[in-house]
This record gives sequence, structure tokens and C-alpha cells, in this order.
Amino acid sequence: MLQYILLRLVRWIPGVILLMFIVYALMFFGGGDPVQIMFSREATDLFMPGNPRYEAVKEQLGLNRPFLVQFGDYLWKMLHGDFGMALTDGRPVARTLAAATPITISIALAASAIIAIVGIPLGVIAALNQNHWADNLILGGALFFWGIPTFVMAPLLMVLFCLELNLLPVPRGWHGVFDVNSIIPLTVAALRPMALVIRQARSAVLDVLSEDYIRTARAKGLPEWVTIIKHALRPVLTPVVTQMGVVMTNLLAGSLLLEIVFGIPGIGKLIRDGILNNDYSVLLGCTFVVLALVTLTNLLVDITYPILDPRLRSTQKGAE
Amino acid sequence: MTQISHNSLSETAQEEKAIGIWKDSFDRLLKNKMAVVSMVVVSIMFFFAIFGPYLTPYDFLAQNLELRSQAPSAQHWLGTDYLGRDVLSRVIYGARTATLVSLLVVLISSVIGVLVGSISGYFGGKLDFFLMWFTDLNMAFPNLVLGVVMAVSLRPPVSRWMESMFLKTQNPVFRQSSLLDLALVVIVIVAVAWSPYARVLRSQVMAVRNYNYVTAARALGLSTFTIVTKYIIPNAIGPVIVQMSAGMGSAMLTESAFSFLGIGINPPIPSWGNMINEGLRQWTSAPYLLAAPAVVLGLMTVSFSFLGDGLNDALNPKQWKG
Repeated sequence: MLQYILLRLVRWIPGVILLMFIVYALMFFGGGDPVQIMFSREATDLFMPGNPRYEAVKEQLGLNRPFLVQFGDYLWKMLHGDFGMALTDGRPVARTLAAATPITISIALAASAIIAIVGIPLGVIAALNQNHWADNLILGGALFFWGIPTFVMAPLLMVLFCLELNLLPVPRGWHGVFDVNSIIPLTVAALRPMALVIRQARSAVLDVLSEDYIRTARAKGLPEWVTIIKHALRPVLTPVVTQMGVVMTNLLAGSLLLEIVFGIPGIGKLIRDGILNNDYSVLLGCTFVVLALVTLTNLLVDITYPILDPRLRSTQKGAE
Repeated sequence: MTQISHNSLSETAQEEKAIGIWKDSFDRLLKNKMAVVSMVVVSIMFFFAIFGPYLTPYDFLAQNLELRSQAPSAQHWLGTDYLGRDVLSRVIYGARTATLVSLLVVLISSVIGVLVGSISGYFGGKLDFFLMWFTDLNMAFPNLVLGVVMAVSLRPPVSRWMESMFLKTQNPVFRQSSLLDLALVVIVIVAVAWSPYARVLRSQVMAVRNYNYVTAARALGLSTFTIVTKYIIPNAIGPVIVQMSAGMGSAMLTESAFSFLGIGINPPIPSWGNMINEGLRQWTSAPYLLAAPAVVLGLMTVSFSFLGDGLNDALNPKQWKG
């Protein structure tokens, strides 16, 4: 098992480093001069290239070193929890990230819980009514919500529930998962990626229902619901869990947009501010957090996979 | 699968079969009501994208400061925005932005996908391993985040290059910021969106390359280039077409997400994304400013996903509908 986990790590870690390298290179060669961005609100002529003060700041920050040295230094410090300081306000990026990341994570986790609780039963219902109206309705609905962008759904629901129907308070900021304010953001976050789970669960149930052991269970006179819950559901979980990596990617992307619409101070809000202020160090830090979260989910999926499906455990051993 | 290789023995039979497959698929597509409705919606949008700006009663840039933030009326069907511009005209012009960007993105990404996918699938080995590792990496991470980084950091160099081109050629085209926006947004979306095309084509190529007629072509001593372009790609391209329809929708979605974030198409050129962003500023007092572009964008992306789904069912009838 340990060897298996290590193999997965070997697959993912070079990827994260490569992407960080690409992102760092883009910022390094493409973006503006960090010193000029830092002092853009002050007397800028003091901080123009050639001015001794400018050169001093540059030297002090180590910006005169070769690109690869700076990248290596950044990675090394990052592994020790130091993400540098924000260009605009000089605060440590690590602290800003530490405040924002839990919010984004809790949105993603709460939304994936909603997706699992609502999506899997919907997928099962669709499969049991294959090609009937319930199936068509669920699949059509899933595809419909999959089609609507997060930043379209969010404001439309806001207009509907807060303005026209006046049912909910206007969501603003973040007060935890179990707050009235979180109803609309979490619903919107869950609606789009739910399609992935519904489809996966449906096709998995359809596959399972034709298995011999289901026929045996039915033949020995088990009630249909016992057959489904006891025998059909467990093999259905495996493909659904594998889908969670993709779901997480979608949830994170959706969460970024949601945070901007509802003013939730998570990673998405930080990215938006980073764009507005041209603040590379904040953007780099945010990119790393998102990459790390996606990688972690995929690793978790890879690890749970053989636990859920014993057949894979033996093939893994065989492969090793 | 064996049928195709039999038919390739005679040219005419193959052509008949090819027409048969396409007609069959088209008939199946027509039976799918949602797909037909979506096709109609998409055609209407294409119509407005081409002719829209000639049909609108107002110019999409014309400001009328006396009629700022008006509610919908007989003169302005969808009201006016905070600068007194006609929202209907802007929404219609937005169709042109969205269509142009997503068409360019889909065309360029499918070319890249076909290149990478056919190389990877035909040659296999280490090259395939590396290319697919990179493709998977590209697919695993959110488009939005990598796109943001690219859009922010590519803007200064591209605009410097355009300025230098202007100084060299004195051609005013290079001074248009809308052209810069368009080029950037297309480059960035292609960079994050090409991977599914490569994946889809690779798996097809891997199946097709083992068919008898490919072996026959190799035995005849045809060059690898001829084999790949003449015999493999035409037989592997079907799923890429499905991907292109789904890709139109997602490219449209990504473009408007970038414009919404302020790193795609910038105002005053209307894009549904930046209109939603502008509408969000006064959504309590003038919700229609937000609703109009949001509903149209939602309608379009939903139509593309139903159309993509219908095409998928029509071209791969064995898949997932049991």
C-alpha cells in the first residue's frame, strides 16, 4: 500500500512542480517589474530603473539573481511555509492564504457533501427508471444545470430569492457553512458539478444491475430495496469516488467565481484582488493552493479506490 | 470495426458506408428533441452574430446620458445601462464576441489536439507517455486559475509587441485594444482547453492504427505521414466533432468567465461576461441589466451542452444511454 501511495506521489508531484515552474516563468518574464508595482502608489520616479534606491530595493529582495535561482529559492521557502510578501501591502502572503483557504475548502467540502447526498440517489433513481420520464427529467435537469455557468446561476438566484421573492437575506461575506447566508452560494456551487456524479452513478447502477449476483439476490426473494441498498450500491460508490477528482476541480473553479459574486473572502476573492492590483506574489500563492488542493483530492481518490474495490488491490500487488 | 476494414477494400463501398454512417447519425440526432431545439437556438445566435449589428436600432456604443439606467420600455426593450447604452443592442453584439472567440478557440484547439493526439497515439512509447502525462495535467487543474495567470502575465509582452508592430508598420490595426483582448483571450483559452481534443483523438488513433487496412498501407510502403493523414485521422475524427460541439459551449463559458473577471474582453466592447460584471454593480436597483446577458449566456451554454450530448448519442449510440 505504501509503495502504491509513493507511486501516485511520483506521478503527481513533478506535475505540480512543472506547473509552478510555468506559472512562475510566466510571471517572471511576462509580468511587470515587481519593485515598480510595490511602489506604484508612491513617488514613482524614485523607483525607476537606474535610480540608486530602486537598485537597492531590487538587490535587497534578491531580484537580480538568475531566474532559476529565484525559482528554486521560491520553492524552497514555499515548502517552509513562506510565500513571500504581497507586492501591494507588504503583508506575508502565507498569512493571507491561511485566512482564505479554509473558507474555500469549507465551501468545496460542503458542496461535495450536498452533491453526494443528493446526486447519488438521483443517479440511482434515474437508473432504476431507465428511459422513463423520471430518468429523462433527472438527466435533462443535470445537463441543464451543467450548462449554466456559476456566475450566471449565482446572480440569477440572488435576484430571484433575495429581490423578487424576498425569501432570503442578501448573501454577503462568509459566516460559516451553516448560516442562512450560505444557502444560495452552496446551492450554486453544488448544482453544476452534480451532473457528473448523477451520470456516473446512473451508468454504474445500470452496469451493476445486469450482474449475476443481483439476479441471485432477486431470485432468492429479497425485496427490491434491500437488493439495491445491500448489493448494488457498494460497487456503485467506486466509480463515483473516482469522479470526485473532476468534481473537486469544478467545485474549486466554481467557488472562485462564487466568492467574487457574493463577496466571500476566500481564494477566489484573493485572485480577483491579485488581478486588479497586478500582485504576482498573491497570484502565485493562490495558484499553488489550488494546485495543492486538486492534487490532494486526486491522491485521496487514488488511495480510496483500492480500498473500495478489492479487485484492484490484488492487481496492484500483481503490478508491483 | 471489422466492417470498416472490409469496406476499405473497395473505394466505392467505403464511400457509401461513410455517407450511411453520417446520415444515420443525423437521423438519430433529429429524433432527439432537445438537440433539435438547441440546434435552432444555436443557429439563431449564429444569425445574430453575423447580421445582428446591422439589425439593432441603436449603436452598441452610443451613450445617451439623459436615459441612464432606464427600465425596459418600448424604445429600449431591455432598458439602458449606467451610461445610457441600449442593452438589447449590446446583448446582440455580445453574440458576435462570444461566437468569434469560441469558433477560433475550437478551431485552433482541435488542430493542436489532432496534432498531439495523432503523434501520441500513432507512435506510442515514451513520447506518448510524456504527452499524455502533460495532457492529463492540463485537464486535472482548473482552467480558470492557469488562465488567470496567463492572461495577466501575457498582456504586457503582447501589448509591447503590438506597439512595436505599430511603430514599424504604422498600421492602426495594431493599436486596437479590442484586437489585443481578442488575441489574448483566444490564446489563453486554447492553452487551457486543447487537452480533451488530444485525449479523444489519441484513443481513437490507437484503435484505428491496428486495423487491417492500415497494416496494408504500411505493407505497400506508404510514408508514415500519408498513412496518418489519409487513413488514420479521417477514421478517427468522429469523436473530435462531438468534442468540438461541447467545446464551443465551454469556450463560450470560459470567455465570459474571463471577461467577468476583467481579464478577457474589456468594456466598451460588449461580452456577456463583462455585461454581467457591470450589471452586478447595481443588481438591486436594476436587476434586468444583470438578467439579460445572464439569461442569454445561460441559454447558449445550455444549448451547446444539449447539442453536444445529442451528437454524442447520435455518433456513439452504444455509449451511456444503455
